[in-house]
Amino acid sequence: MTAKRLRVFALLAISTIFLLAWAFPIIWSVLNSLKTDSDVLAYPPKLVFTPTLEAYRDVLFGSGSILPNLLSSVIISVGTTIVTMLMAVPAAYALARLRFRGKRFAGFYVLATQMLPPVGIIIPYFLVLRNIGWIDTYQGIILIYLSFSLPFAIWLLVSYFEDIPFEMEEAAYLDGASRLKTLWRIIIPQVRGGIAVTIVFVFLNAWNEFLFAVVLSGNTVRPVTVAMFNFVSVEQTLWAKLAAVSVLAMLPVVVLGVVAQKHIVKGLTVGAVKGGGRR
Amino acid sequence: MATTAVTSAEIASEAPRSDFGRVLAQRERRFAAALLAPAFLALLATTTFPLLFLIYTSAFRMDLAMPFTNGFVGFENYRTLLADERFWTSLLVSLVYTGSTVALQVIVGLALALLVMDMKRGQGWFRVIAILPVVLSPAVVGMIWRTFMLAPEFGIVDYLAINAGLGSKNWLGDPTLAMVSVIAIHTWQWTPFAFMVLLASLASLPEDIYEAARLDRASAWQRFRRITLPLLRPAIVMVIIMRTMVALTAFAAIFTVTAGGPGTATEILNLYAYRKSFTELSIGYGSALAVALLIVTIIISGILFAMRRAK
Repeated sequence: MTAKRLRVFALLAISTIFLLAWAFPIIWSVLNSLKTDSDVLAYPPKLVFTPTLEAYRDVLFGSGSILPNLLSSVIISVGTTIVTMLMAVPAAYALARLRFRGKRFAGFYVLATQMLPPVGIIIPYFLVLRNIGWIDTYQGIILIYLSFSLPFAIWLLVSYFEDIPFEMEEAAYLDGASRLKTLWRIIIPQVRGGIAVTIVFVFLNAWNEFLFAVVLSGNTVRPVTVAMFNFVSVEQTLWAKLAAVSVLAMLPVVVLGVVAQKHIVKGLTVGAVKGGGRR
Repeated sequence: MATTAVTSAEIASEAPRSDFGRVLAQRERRFAAALLAPAFLALLATTTFPLLFLIYTSAFRMDLAMPFTNGFVGFENYRTLLADERFWTSLLVSLVYTGSTVALQVIVGLALALLVMDMKRGQGWFRVIAILPVVLSPAVVGMIWRTFMLAPEFGIVDYLAINAGLGSKNWLGDPTLAMVSVIAIHTWQWTPFAFMVLLASLASLPEDIYEAARLDRASAWQRFRRITLPLLRPAIVMVIIMRTMVALTAFAAIFTVTAGGPGTATEILNLYAYRKSFTELSIGYGSALAVALLIVTIIISGILFAMRRAK
């Protein structure tokens, strides 16, 4: 049985290394955010130190506070999520449950829009927004975010809609309920879980987006992922503050990610497993 | 496109001659159109229109820094592009970046999934930790790696390198090391994705085939080659497709870590198009580069989708 014990030990060692490798950069940022600059810069790196919330106090309430940027991120992400869901739920329902001419083409179109490289979209979009004065506005950013959030949300939702049995809406429909009423009263409650997962994904993607945000943001609308750069300059890096800002930018997505972990895996794999299984 | 039951629409289409059926089918079409309209208008405005406009602007000289030189130039931007060494370099960098990160993600992800699959305890830890890099913003990830992990004589990676006797290295300043670094960062962030998808896929494989194989005294390697790999093939190909699309247009992490440098060592095609358009402000040429990226994307995805169908 020694061979087996050796195997178990090797397994344990490998898995520990991988878990550490994945978690370490995040843990290290959290630790650094609780240090003073001199502790961050200490060599060899300090694992034991007196924790302080000074960096957080400075980046939140000091001069050049990132509170407005956090607020921008929240407005953009929540706004994108609301607009996306309002459009994606009806569209996904139609694609999954209704019969109409051109349905295959419609589905293909949604899929194809996902393949456009973002840099190709942002160049013309920038020119148009500049002309109508929408650079540095919420509506400008939220609108362009639909380019990636809508196709994704529609496809994810279609996979959830397809799972509901047809009998339910059939019964409601034959009972004389209108199409819209059937959708609202019978179908939507059935896919509540799928809608929640989609909301999480759309929010995460909007919170994390960077390229569009960099091009379109200005002094009024500047999400935290872009504002983070203020803490790194050629002359000096504000180490502890940078760590604190990174942690604040990570916080919402990490919390959402861990809470919705099981569903996220399902959402991620829906395309992969389904797409593969179909052929 | 589920296969279940008979819908009202199907009842309707079975009796196409009756007025009732025709009215129902027509109503269903109108309802579908009304539900699809908002989303499709938004998609037209944010994807299709920009695409057409991009192709249009690529036929112009459009220099925001020197507007007096602007004008229609036809295919000149594309002729310039074909003779542009920086374009070819960035294309090569893109292919190396995409190819190596996707290969690493699939190989490491699959190896880990097979390993974790056999674990009786501790699977939960993997599932929770693996979700972290995937949900993080690539911009934040890039920033963390650039500062706390890779900074010379201060970052943890350099600390480990010094202690391993390799000495301090200029991880982001040396062209080769910078490329290795951005590839490592991308792989770090996205291997958990491949891992999770492949683990889910592994868990769905039928157990009885393995039982039969064991009775036939197939070795572990034979079982992997002959059973696991073929059954996982659809999921693996799908992971490759999804990850390739993302890697080709990766931006935030490279932008925050090296900004394409040193020089053009890590400048993928995507980043070159961005720099031309928004740093050097030659939008027309930047558009042509973006169109080139789109063409490359279409070619590569065409190849990958063909791979998916082929046995």
